[in-house]
Order: sequence, then C-alpha cells, then structure tokens
Amino acid sequence: MSTQTPILAADKLSVRYGSFLALSDVTLSIKPNTIHSVIGPNGAGKTTLFHALTGRVRASSGRITLDGRDITHVSDDKRVPLGIARSFQVTSLFQNLNVRENLRLAAQGRTPLQALAPWRGVNPRDNALAVADEVMERLELTHVSDRAAGELSHGQQRRLEVGMAVAAKPRLILLDEPTSGMGIDDVEAMKALIRDLGRDHTVLFIEHNMSIVMNISDTVTVMRAGRVLVEGPPAVVRDDPEVRRAYLGNMITGDIA
Amino acid sequence: MNRASLHFLLAALIAIALPLFMRSGTLASEVLIFAMAAAACNLLLGYTGLLSFGQGIFFGLGSYAAGLTLLHTSLPLALALVLSAITGAVVATGVGWLSIRRQGVYFVMLTLAFSQFFYFLAYTFKDITGGDNGLLNIPRPAIGPFSLGDSWTYYGFVAVLFLLLFAALQRVASSTFGRTLLAVRDNEERARAIGFPVRDFKITAFAISGAVTGLAGALHALLIGVAPLSNIEYHMSESILIMTIIGGTGNLFASVLGAGFYVIVSDLLSSIWPRWLLLLGGLLIVVALFMQKGLWGLLERLVEALPMGRKSSTKSSIEAPIQPESQGRGI
Repeated sequence: MSTQTPILAADKLSVRYGSFLALSDVTLSIKPNTIHSVIGPNGAGKTTLFHALTGRVRASSGRITLDGRDITHVSDDKRVPLGIARSFQVTSLFQNLNVRENLRLAAQGRTPLQALAPWRGVNPRDNALAVADEVMERLELTHVSDRAAGELSHGQQRRLEVGMAVAAKPRLILLDEPTSGMGIDDVEAMKALIRDLGRDHTVLFIEHNMSIVMNISDTVTVMRAGRVLVEGPPAVVRDDPEVRRAYLGNMITGDIA
Repeated sequence: MNRASLHFLLAALIAIALPLFMRSGTLASEVLIFAMAAAACNLLLGYTGLLSFGQGIFFGLGSYAAGLTLLHTSLPLALALVLSAITGAVVATGVGWLSIRRQGVYFVMLTLAFSQFFYFLAYTFKDITGGDNGLLNIPRPAIGPFSLGDSWTYYGFVAVLFLLLFAALQRVASSTFGRTLLAVRDNEERARAIGFPVRDFKITAFAISGAVTGLAGALHALLIGVAPLSNIEYHMSESILIMTIIGGTGNLFASVLGAGFYVIVSDLLSSIWPRWLLLLGGLLIVVALFMQKGLWGLLERLVEALPMGRKSSTKSSIEAPIQPESQGRGI
C-alpha cells in the first residue's frame, strides 16, 4: 500500500451513450493488493465504470492501463488472460450447467484457445478442474457441485457469481454489488469472503452496504453523475462534508438503500 | 457404460436394423444421410443455440461439388467426398462469419437470406449446376475394390461413413470445445466475460456443421445420381431443421431418430396422400407445444416408465443440458 505503480489506472475515462454522458473524465488508480470500493447513488456511473474497465463497453475517450500497459482497445475477452475478471450485479451464470462445470469454464477462460480444439476432451486431471474444485472449497459450494447453477439458492448463486471471477485466477477482481439481494447472514459471509479475497488479489468492488464498504476497504471512491466526487480512506470519505451533503449523510447512519 | 457409448451403440443398432426392416436400400441410405445432416444441424441448434436456415446451402453445395468432381475429373470417389466436405466447411465459415454479427431473429433472417441467395445462384448458373434440371448422370465409382453399384452395397458404405461421422461429432460435442458451446448457448454474455472469444467458437461450430452437411449432400447426390436444385432450396434447410427439432435438440442421437422418423414417415404418407406435408406440419405443432424434447424426450419418458430403466436414464447436467424451459433461448 505504498506508492507503487497502480495495477489498474483510468485516465480521464469517458463513456457516452448517444447524447448521454454516463462517465465523464474519470481518473482512478487502483493500488495493488488493496481493497478498493466504489460507491455512489444509482445512476452515478459505477456499473458503466466497471463495463469500461473490463472492456464490455468501449471508452469514448480516455485511457485505461494495466500495470502501465495501455489496454484501452483490448476487447473484453482478451482482458481475462491479462488478469482482470469480474462478477455481475445481476447474477449471470450458466443456469443449465452444474456448479463444477460453471467454474471449470471460468478457469478455462484464462486459456480460451485451448478449448477451441474440437478433438480435445476434458482430462480428469485437467488444471481447470482442479481450480474449479479449489474455488468450490473456498466458497463452500462443494456440497452442491453437481447441481445445476439455476437450482441453487439465491445466496449460493451470488457466491458462485463471485466464484466465476475467482476461478479465472485474476490479479484484479471486480465485483459488482456482490451482496445484491442477499439476506443478512449471507451478507456477513460475503463480507468475510471479500476481505479474504483481498489477501491474494486486488479487489475493486461496487457496494451499497456501507458497513461492508467502511469496514474492509482500503480506499473508497465516491461517484456522482458520472464523475468522481471524492476518493480516500474510509474515515476521510465518511467525514468529507461534500460527500455528506451530496449523498452519504443518511446512509452512513445505517439507512441503507 | 456412459451416455456417449450408449448413444453410439444405438446408432450402430439402427444402421444394422435398417436393412432388416426396410425393402429399399435407397430409402435406408437416405435415413442415414439425413441423420448426418440433422446431427450437424443439432451441433448449431442444440449445442450453440443457433437456428440456422443455411443448412440447405451446405447440403446442396456438397451435392454439386461431388457431382462436378465426378463428372468432370477422374478423381477418386473419396477425394470427391473430401472436396464436398471442404466446400461445405468453407462456405459455412463465410455464412457463419457474416450471420453471427447479428443475434436472435436477425441472425435467423440472415441465414434465410443466404439460403435464398445461394439457391438463385445455383438456379442462375445453369451451365454449371444444370439449373432446374439439376446435375444429371453423376456416376458412382467403386471405392477401392468395392463396387457401389448395388443400392445395398452403397448403403453399407454410407453406414460406415455415418458411424465414423457420428463418433466424430460425439467427440466434438464432449470436447472442451463442445462444452464451451453449451456455455455459449446458455449465456453468451458470461461466456465472453470469462474470456472466451465467442465468435470464434460459433464460426468453428459452423465450419464443422458445414463440413458434415456438405458430405451428407454429396452422399445424397451419389445415391440418386443427380444433384437436384431442390438440394439447395430453402425447403431443404427447412426439412433438416424439422428433422432436428422433431428428434430433439438435447443430444446427437436424437437427430438420428428425427431423421429416420421424417424420412420414413414422409415416404409412407406420400404414397397414400399427396398432401402429406399437412400432417407433418400438424406433427411439428404437437412437438412444439407438448414435447419440446422431441422424440428423444418421448423415448426417455417411456424408458423411465419401465421399472428397469430408471437407473440408466439418470441425467448429468453436462450431457443433457437443455431443459425444456430454456428451449428457444438462443434462437
């Protein structure tokens, strides 16, 4: 957490949908091995920022660098082997495939061209399978490994959603509202999981639950209307008068949207 | 025994049983030829979620490629077949490459447009394709020491190729490639997000499907001695799709059932009633409404109803991934 070069940096990043500017001159830098959260009211551009960083949406202007290398024009699937993986706000799994197969595919995504060979079978000692088992263990999904993803409970699906990102063995993991729609017990487990992931990954996550954000983040970025409002350690952000006035006030006292 | 070997065994049984129960070697060969085409179609529809109306293009071009090779050159039969498969693969790559730029209905419309385009191309270049009359008098040379003149000998040749191709397609379906196709079918967006270049996978699926369909088209032209214009017509695409859907899209063997059913029932009905297609339409409606897993689904239910069959029909979600609820998702 010193003054290392950032693992991921966005420089004056803008995304325009038609005449609507969803992201406007966002400059962000994620330090390696930190937990970095992005908060802000709905429509602040948080998910658009994720889409741009993972390459799902093309930046209209600005630059994205990974370890100093310009990846602005690298397509989303090609960013995975570079070490970026994400989870989605709205659960997006392979509903008809079982849990192990979901994770095996996610692990295989690191070396996708190997899977393009139509004659190659799935070797039982396959590396991707080993990764899948390891991730299931970590996410406590081993007992449902043979169930179709679509049959899991909501909490399990959310965990698998995060697991899909973990299985890619990324260095930078982006989690889009990992606790979305979760019950209280599951939220605590997810908080522990994100903190745990922070030990061996750089984590960037969007979250509405302030208790998680303020507890486990090293850095918090507050966004509003497509711009970065404030950035800093949780304590600083919490007490920032502009943040309190603009948005946070009621949320910090526990009134969570 | 796992599911794949069971299905292969069933396919082999069908190939052996057809001569025992059928009087016409031509009709029996037709069953297996269309079984290949339907299985190839299933790779796109059932495994990748692509409803392609372009299968007739590859079938028809396969017929022409084999016909032209055998009529105008002295190349051996095996090479003519290889050329048809290559033609099917190359054209399918092109058609696929352009069509998958759009999704859903627009994808389907593009394949339909290509189907019409190639039909009129074949119709227009009468000097090469014979136009309306088709490419006539295609010889059926011997393969090595075996003369294929007799319709049942030819059936034997087709049956061997059918089983080889069926095993190859099974291999493709169970490979990491095939399993990634299932993932694409299920959730294309996530497949891309976890790093798969989805377009490359779809194009490869098209190429494989095109190769097998082209080869089936060639075998068909050799069977009847003609490469008719109807082999490249939109109606051919439709028939192949109907066979695939009637059989069921969950696994490759279902397509063999679908093709067998379609070919045999068409033959029976057409001899008693000229408007038999009407009945087939009715059947398609029944399948769409009540048995979305097709004939295979029906068979599965029958086997499950037997007290003995329960154990063998346990499904793994990898090999039987397509639930009826998700039918049509990717279409």
